[in-house]
Amino acid sequence: MRNRLGVRLARIIALGALLGAGLIPAGVAQAAGPLILNAGTTQKLETLNPWQSITYADYEVFQVQYELLVSFGPNLEEVPGYADTWSASADKKTHTFHVRDGMKWSDGEPATCDDALYTFQLVLDAVEKLGYLGSGYLDPYLTNTGLESVKCEGSNFIATTKFPTTLLTQAYIPILPKHVWSKYTIDQINDTTVEGYFDNAPPVVGSGPYVAVEWKPNNFIRMQRNPNYWGKAGVPDEIIYHQFADEATMVQALKSGELDYARGVGADLYDSLATEPNIARSEGYANGYSYLSFNTRATHAGYKGSTSALEDPKFRDALMWALNKQELVDKVLNGHGVPGTTIVPPYHVNWHVEPATPRTFDIVEANKRLTDAGYPLVDGKRMDKDGKAITLRLTWSSDGYPKDAQFIQGWWEQLGITVDAFSTEEDTLIDLLYGPETGDTYDADWDTYIWSWGGDPDPMSLLSLFTTDQIEAGVDDCFFSNARYDELFTLQQQATDETARKGYISEMQQLFYDQGCNTPLYYDSELHAYRTDKFTGWTNQPPGTGTPLFGFGYPGYLALTDATLVPTPGPTTVPATAAPGTTAGPTATAPPTTDNTGSSSTPLLIGGAVVLVVVVAGVFLMMRRRGPKAEEE
Amino acid sequence: MSARYVLRRIVSAGVTIFLIVILNFVLFRMMPGSPERILLGRIPNVTPAAVQGTRERWGLDKPLFPDQFVSYMTSTFQGDLGFSFSMRGQTVVEVLESRLWPTLLLFGLGEIIAIVVGLLLGAYSGWKRGGILDFLGNGASLILYATPYFLLGMLLLIMFATTLHWFPTFGMNTPGRDYADIFEELGDIGRHLVLPLATVSLGLVGQYAILMRSSILDTMTEDYVTTARAKGLTEGRILRSHALPNALLPTVSLVAINLGYVVAGAITVEVVFNWPGLGTLTVDALAARDYPVLQGVFLLLSVTVVFANLAADLLYSFLDPRVRT
Repeated sequence: MRNRLGVRLARIIALGALLGAGLIPAGVAQAAGPLILNAGTTQKLETLNPWQSITYADYEVFQVQYELLVSFGPNLEEVPGYADTWSASADKKTHTFHVRDGMKWSDGEPATCDDALYTFQLVLDAVEKLGYLGSGYLDPYLTNTGLESVKCEGSNFIATTKFPTTLLTQAYIPILPKHVWSKYTIDQINDTTVEGYFDNAPPVVGSGPYVAVEWKPNNFIRMQRNPNYWGKAGVPDEIIYHQFADEATMVQALKSGELDYARGVGADLYDSLATEPNIARSEGYANGYSYLSFNTRATHAGYKGSTSALEDPKFRDALMWALNKQELVDKVLNGHGVPGTTIVPPYHVNWHVEPATPRTFDIVEANKRLTDAGYPLVDGKRMDKDGKAITLRLTWSSDGYPKDAQFIQGWWEQLGITVDAFSTEEDTLIDLLYGPETGDTYDADWDTYIWSWGGDPDPMSLLSLFTTDQIEAGVDDCFFSNARYDELFTLQQQATDETARKGYISEMQQLFYDQGCNTPLYYDSELHAYRTDKFTGWTNQPPGTGTPLFGFGYPGYLALTDATLVPTPGPTTVPATAAPGTTAGPTATAPPTTDNTGSSSTPLLIGGAVVLVVVVAGVFLMMRRRGPKAEEE
Repeated sequence: MSARYVLRRIVSAGVTIFLIVILNFVLFRMMPGSPERILLGRIPNVTPAAVQGTRERWGLDKPLFPDQFVSYMTSTFQGDLGFSFSMRGQTVVEVLESRLWPTLLLFGLGEIIAIVVGLLLGAYSGWKRGGILDFLGNGASLILYATPYFLLGMLLLIMFATTLHWFPTFGMNTPGRDYADIFEELGDIGRHLVLPLATVSLGLVGQYAILMRSSILDTMTEDYVTTARAKGLTEGRILRSHALPNALLPTVSLVAINLGYVVAGAITVEVVFNWPGLGTLTVDALAARDYPVLQGVFLLLSVTVVFANLAADLLYSFLDPRVRT
């Protein structure tokens, strides 16, 4: 029996091994098929209906498929998109876009001015009917330009705005094929829960260089080259976006060659890729920032902040002298970021300004400013003007920032301020943040909190968060309300001269910095990595501060070339240039030297083998020691 | 097995499911944050009117009881679990359906392999206590039992996918590949399945082997085994006809209990290998605060556990007449 059971077991193991072995060779075989660009992201691939877009991944997916009227080039400059030429009247209120002649949708139907008209009208109608369209992220691009009406005159698409604007060429509105979308009502496009909701499932009819042909929600989106795309055809035959639940797996897939590009790699993993052969990294400025916000209406009627001191700009100013932002960048981001100053990040090379008189980290100065402003230190406790010892609550959404909070707690305690730091579940936090202006049930029951904002190619959306009307919308969640800021916002919105606009925007940044409603802690970098042995031609957009993919428009895809056709592939990453006002900015990392001999996993294999040998030896040793005993039994 | 016993088990399972459905309603309404805000997210330009509109559309303006409760119960028993918040435009049932099969494939096969190998290994090591296989098998079982899925999975992934390139790193198939025939497609899925399946089977095999080994050891000292030996039966016959059937009993409950952990285990294994099943779905839904989907997963999971226990009860009473009371 012993033998028979043993034999049976051996047979099963042998069968398993055989099956496994049968699978192995096929596993490595790569069928000579289409040239595929595999891109990984940890963001969700959950919609093909552009109006429902929220994340960077959503935006990437629609902008590859649908042309904008005017698109974005490698330097974020305006380049032809759905329109080949465009112009504005002298008063900048009538804007004419010439739709390219002879253009076709991916299904062969003609792509005309009518499609642009349909799309813009859809947004205008939806905003009038509902106030927003879908996720509400795209319609502000039109409402912010004061768009009033649209019409077609032959191939010319003509848009009229209520006030002068230069921003219509930046409108992030994908032009959709009328013959597909007009079959659906606004509700069926806007509301994902109605009967007949249009999810725009593949095959998608688009005008961009690639269109989706297959989609497994929250898994992958596969795109094929659009044969009718008007411009130069991209080198990859297909693009597949893969969604990853775990970034460690994404990085392994990049190492194994199954992925060509990984977006959103964590700092530790990013650093670990530095010596990996055939992998290059790109550290781009984030078009956004993480910030510390103050409840500036703490003790107003209906608000539940803990001390009136929060309402005093001098008090907030003093607290900001006790923030060591460089240390946060070094310790929290492993150095992958830049200390924050103004609310337009350095990503916007042309718009970002550094404050005239920047605050530095200086606990002594902070203490002095607090005392001077009328907040005395009594028995080591900082008192507010009501004679109460100040204790501040510091919270953050449960996803992040515990480390930042710990540092801030330590610094502020040196000012005699007790900090009660705790994380709050994201939805609870959203509820907590709103003031009574947003709804009767809200009472802004918080003191300080940490979160982040992200922006667009134009800085306007980041500036728009703090106009007075955004308090009611629940967006301006530090309750910043400043007449001059509001005025400047309108001025820059309607400015037709770039220098004048730059002046307004600079003043807005300085004004906001001085008032200290929130303070950007840091501009955290976008960490991407890609392989250089399958495609070359990776180009950061914009060259100094961006990343090759997941930017604006699609120039990064069209710049790619087949690495196997290039005789001597070399580093192609554009060298980094520091943005104005920053010295230690993120840099695009050039691919390491072509050292293919060693792999970082080899030690692991050796380690595994050593462990195995030790285990086996141990077992035999145990058996030898126990052997005689077993016989005695 | 009496009809009354069977009926009683079934009724009790039914009541449990009903209670779970109620609990599901209460639990997800105790979650923090107002649902309309979760639905709308941080949309710029949202006016109080838009918030009110959303409340009305989702029936959130009506009282929790009876209105919301009644409509929840009716639709749940009609198989309508509502719409996913995050996977825009898809119903919860559609989402669950698409994710159920990959998990069943992975864990169904994993369980079967683990049961067969684990029980054989456990039975053999118990029967031949002190032999080479006992030392090796028992040692390996203990190590595997103590290793978390994600660690085991990551190790296999780094060794066999990233370094040796024997198997793919992630997913269930190669997107966009044209298959010549069904066998090629099955082969592709098979190659993607090897590593996650190995992780699941290795992770489970230890506990089956350990349980079976101690169970066999217990039965070996029983009087009926001694009697069988005294009757002069061969060792093989004693093991097959006397020891094994009795030793198998505890494993029936273990299988039933393990079914309940399918999703719990699925979360880590599926996340490591990016397997598109219920586990990755749960993680995604949690991250996106997709409460309808979480509610669906919770319901599916609890109903599975109830049914698995019902099946175990019935099977147990069939195998062991002593429990039929």
